[in-house]
Amino acid sequence: MAPRRSATTPLKQIAMVFDLNKCLGCQTCAVACKVLWTQDEGEDYQWWCTVNTMPGRGHPKNWEQMGGGYGSAGGPVGGRLPTRAEFGGGWQYNYEQVYTSKEHIPLRPIDGNGTTQWGPNWDEDEGGGEYPNSYFFYLPRLCNHCTRPVCVEACPRGAMYKRPKDGIVLRDEDECRGYRFCLEACPYKKIFFNFAREVSQHCILCFPRLEKGVAPACVRQCPGRLAFVGYLDDEDGAINKLVHRWQVALPLHAEYGTGPNIFYIPPLAPYRLNRDSSLDESTPRIPMEELERLFGPRVGQALDTLTGEMEKKRRGESSELMDTLIVYHWNELLGPYTRDPATIRWR
Amino acid sequence: MSDTRERQQSEEPLPLLSQPVSRRGFLKAASLGAAGLYLTQLGCAGGREGIRKVVEQTSAYSGWTDLYRQKWTWDKVTWGTHLIDCYPGSCLFRVYTKDGIVWREEQAGLYPTIEPGVPDMNPRGCQKGACFSDVMYGPERLRFPLRRVGERGEGSWERISWEQALTDVADGILDAMEEVGPESIIYETGPGNGGIVNGPLPGWRLSRLIGATVLDTNGMIGDFNVGLYETFGKFHFVSSVDDWFHADLIIIWHMNPVYTRIPSAHFIYEARYHGTKVVNIAPDYNASSVHADLWVPVEPGSDAALALAMCRIIIDEGWMNREFVAEQTDLPLLVRLDTNRFLRETDLLSEAADARDDQFYVWDQTSRAPAPALRDTLRLKTRPALQGRFTVTLAGGEEVEVTPVFELLRERLSEYTPERAASITGVQPSVIRRLAKMVGEAKRVHILQGWNANKYYHGDLMERSMALLLALTGNFGRKGTGMRGFNTGQVQVGTLVKDRAGIEGFIDLAERALGVEDELLEADPTLTEEMRAIGVEKAEAQRRVLLPYPAGPLTVPAAFYWYWHAGYDEVWNRPEWSDPAMTRPLGSYLEEAVSNGWWDGVALPPPQRPPRVLLEVGASTLRRTRGGYKTLRERLWPKLKLIVVVDVRMSATALQSDIVLPAAGFYEKTDFRFPTTHVNFLTFTDQAVKPVGESKPEWEIFSLLAIKLQERALARGMTAVSDAEGREYRLDKLVERFTMHGALREHDGEALAEDMVRDTVRVGALPERTSVKTFRKQGIVRFTGIGQTAEGLNLATDIKRDETVSPLRWHVERKVPYPTLTRRIQFYIDHPWFLEADEALPRHKPNPRMGGDLPLSMLSGHLRWSIHSTWVANRLMLRTHRGAPFLMLSPGDAAARGVTDNDEVRVYNDFDDFHVRVKLSSSVRPGQVIIYHAWEPYQYRNWKPYDTAIPGMIKWLHLAGGYGHLSFWRNNWQPQQADRAIAVEVEKATPEAVT
Repeated sequence: MAPRRSATTPLKQIAMVFDLNKCLGCQTCAVACKVLWTQDEGEDYQWWCTVNTMPGRGHPKNWEQMGGGYGSAGGPVGGRLPTRAEFGGGWQYNYEQVYTSKEHIPLRPIDGNGTTQWGPNWDEDEGGGEYPNSYFFYLPRLCNHCTRPVCVEACPRGAMYKRPKDGIVLRDEDECRGYRFCLEACPYKKIFFNFAREVSQHCILCFPRLEKGVAPACVRQCPGRLAFVGYLDDEDGAINKLVHRWQVALPLHAEYGTGPNIFYIPPLAPYRLNRDSSLDESTPRIPMEELERLFGPRVGQALDTLTGEMEKKRRGESSELMDTLIVYHWNELLGPYTRDPATIRWR
Repeated sequence: MSDTRERQQSEEPLPLLSQPVSRRGFLKAASLGAAGLYLTQLGCAGGREGIRKVVEQTSAYSGWTDLYRQKWTWDKVTWGTHLIDCYPGSCLFRVYTKDGIVWREEQAGLYPTIEPGVPDMNPRGCQKGACFSDVMYGPERLRFPLRRVGERGEGSWERISWEQALTDVADGILDAMEEVGPESIIYETGPGNGGIVNGPLPGWRLSRLIGATVLDTNGMIGDFNVGLYETFGKFHFVSSVDDWFHADLIIIWHMNPVYTRIPSAHFIYEARYHGTKVVNIAPDYNASSVHADLWVPVEPGSDAALALAMCRIIIDEGWMNREFVAEQTDLPLLVRLDTNRFLRETDLLSEAADARDDQFYVWDQTSRAPAPALRDTLRLKTRPALQGRFTVTLAGGEEVEVTPVFELLRERLSEYTPERAASITGVQPSVIRRLAKMVGEAKRVHILQGWNANKYYHGDLMERSMALLLALTGNFGRKGTGMRGFNTGQVQVGTLVKDRAGIEGFIDLAERALGVEDELLEADPTLTEEMRAIGVEKAEAQRRVLLPYPAGPLTVPAAFYWYWHAGYDEVWNRPEWSDPAMTRPLGSYLEEAVSNGWWDGVALPPPQRPPRVLLEVGASTLRRTRGGYKTLRERLWPKLKLIVVVDVRMSATALQSDIVLPAAGFYEKTDFRFPTTHVNFLTFTDQAVKPVGESKPEWEIFSLLAIKLQERALARGMTAVSDAEGREYRLDKLVERFTMHGALREHDGEALAEDMVRDTVRVGALPERTSVKTFRKQGIVRFTGIGQTAEGLNLATDIKRDETVSPLRWHVERKVPYPTLTRRIQFYIDHPWFLEADEALPRHKPNPRMGGDLPLSMLSGHLRWSIHSTWVANRLMLRTHRGAPFLMLSPGDAAARGVTDNDEVRVYNDFDDFHVRVKLSSSVRPGQVIIYHAWEPYQYRNWKPYDTAIPGMIKWLHLAGGYGHLSFWRNNWQPQQADRAIAVEVEKATPEAVT
């Protein structure tokens, strides 16, 4: 076995912010990624980027209960390895049979018992609460490219590493033997095993695009204009403003201890209704415990900051935070990666 | 690699439908070329030839990272967009081609900032657009002409040559002409492939030249905003999506933009960060509710009551914009209390004095007498009363009492107290008051409404009530205000109506149109430019005046075809599914409408000329016609001797047809997405690769069909064919006419595109010197004007270089009259049928129990995962949800029926039933079930779709005519089928049904 590569502190850390108050749950980020990176053998079920309806069981199913991350002794903890069924999806269909069917056989998956049972977006728009106080919001997820990537530490082959120049967490697929310790250890379960090639795979943060100055596909193709990319340390950048200055962008499950570098502007929601259908303006529709469970104790403060700044705008005052989130010019989302890929000439 | 595909096609036996080589196979082979790894995975992909090529490629392998770098390379980039009826669509993409295969697409992100301080439109696109390349090469893609060999719908096909296919189609058409007449050929266009050079238009040109019956797509799909049309005399007005940013109150009402306006929804949430309040009114807590400040749950179909209660509060609280109401609306016009009809000039003056029955009056407070409401301007020269009862003396000396419409409106609104509205809508009176206050206090209110209200039986009443709310508060004709229809009239599709190509043809067409306008002006010199253009449309619909020789109709409403020929007589005449206000069966109203001449020239095909050939392009009539999968197959299909489907993908109708012709896809031809003002640009798509398989662009298909038709007709000795009214269509001149006298042959699609662009420049809607070359350089060009067609002029606004587009500004700023009977925003419709129905003024009416007396109300909306049915059966999209159709049900309703999540259920009513799996969500209103629209029937058990349980009723009032703006023109005034609030019951499927 190759020596384990230690997690090094990168010179700069690339990061992203997703504004959940603009997320449409449309999965364009997921599809953009899918079409670009995971259309080969063994990748049908892989969605490096997904958007899930919260509250929900997510992808893989019930991933938040699977464990992983760091133990009390400070070392990686092997959580539960999600099964292929818990990821679900990736179905192959009987098109040929349908189009030549005398009996009018419906379009259905070829595998399994002809039905689907779970997939990357199975619990779309279900949410929680009781009508009319139902609630849900969308949560896009991809590899967090953590500051303390437990996957890197868990890999016995030393195949995984955090790239010094920008902090992207990558896996040397020539070294990977598909042991899946990384997947056991990753508390976010954003790693996929390629059953055909017998290696693990996960989001590469579109490094070939970054190398050419082009933003990652999930960011550049996001029609909701809610995904920011850039460097945490860039003090003039939107990421730094949102994470540090305004402190409205928070990591998901910071308690896992891996130091995620994907941050979220937490979701607001419409007023609740009382039993007699009058408005209840005092209780948030999304229970605060739910948000604190995901985004930690600072989420209340972040929401207060957001609503306070929104009110300022409604009074006709200016707000730098709101102007940042409005994104008057699309390029403001792309950080240093504003190049139009079509301008690249390969030969 | 493309060589491989072509070689395979010629040498090896091929499956008829699924692709010979997967796109993924090609991509994989391409990406593996560098590495030489994983050869075993090649399998059959690329075949022996493919493997040889891969093996022979030499390239150094410098680590796994290069594999990923290799993936993200390409040889060629072209512009692309998706030629599909999506609102707004028109998303500019770049199409990346590698080894002759379209590998992927990505938004171009090149929209400029239009108005300083308003966010730009980038990147525009959605998950469907981002994977059309997967549909392009997917298993649902049609590649070869196919002919049925067994019975219809048996799934037995043979691959035939184009020559054979065109011969069969031509012979079938000629047989029908000989047996019945040209009207028996039904041409149906659809939203599935909507270029402006290709798509539905070439077949439309050919159909008109042979006198076929062209059905009106807009009415068939149910995207006609009836209530807006009744109120404004038009519905083709819409603001650009960036104009939403100007609103300070956005009410999302009968729209789910988070599903259906994915590329544009950001403007709503950016406006919210800019200070705009966002309200969502909907029965369910849907994806567009989650980002609202206020979500107001309502009982399905009760929206008119809610809006009217708000109107009452607006008036009571003094929040009404009196100036706007007096000037822009019909609310000051006087109504006779003895007849409930407007006071007209014919009432006041004797017939001999050339009195007009469309001259109306206001009560002038200065002179204390009736004063004519000016017909040539909205500018007030009097002080019209809004309230009071007055006495006027009629021509015969009789004295009658009159009152302004506003007074009648007050009476009507007295029925809509917040408390009574609460009992209808389920919305608390305090919330209704709060909503009304928000509207009353806001400076700019925009109601984001789509094509949902109008799919309710009484949807027109809802839209009229919502429009009243905005009219009372002056929220039309300014930035950030209004309601919305659509508009595709900026591009000059009139090019396709020309007899000759180029400027000569343009001048011919303009002269013919101006000739009609002169006639109209002679009868009424006060007609506005917009009214005259509508007049030309109506003249063409009724008399067909724009070509120098007889032509078939531009389009006709489908109602008569459905009623006389397709089996809907049995459905529509069921009183228990209709409004109880009807005094007789629908058929009786229909006959009256026809015998009154209200539908002259467009009630086709006539009863004695039954349909024989159905030719459709990107339509899938069995999927989209409400109840059609049952009624059309049972009653229409046996009458049809030939069913031909032209499409990119295998549709439900294609599966039940006789001949299937494969059309080129969105990246396989040069074309433009038909534009709509939402995105005020014309958007280009270029040919990235040759058409897949043997598919062809529609221009080529119909050019070849024209040639074949003429050839086969002459072989039979047929030189012409006549319709029931004696118009003669020359078959011996078909090719000459179709090709614009030889100017545009089958491979001249791009020349046609050029002509269309030039014509659009000629009408001032595109900048000088714009050509196809301009588009090839920059992909999009922003419109500079609204053109000269009726639809374009319906926008009634100037397009400014540095401003968002807000429609109706000419009316509000320049006081140009509206194209309604009263020339004002019209809330009072004194047509006798409307009076009989007590719908002269907007009101609430409960949903008829369409389907029976059953407890659940089935609602719908557009699916997030498809645009109509394109993408709906795509494997990639299927993997992003539950992979099959589902019905959303509330947990309580499910538990009461012993149903749990993902169970299969039977949904039934008195019309029919279907099976589907359920998805439980507490977001669904108890009593409501939701099934999103456009799943293919073949995704359901026994291919019975949810449409099977929709009877497909129409509202009888929409057959009315002979009343100002209530008369048909293309895309406009006509009945359409109701499909919302269908009564159903749900039960767990029995094991026998499931196995």
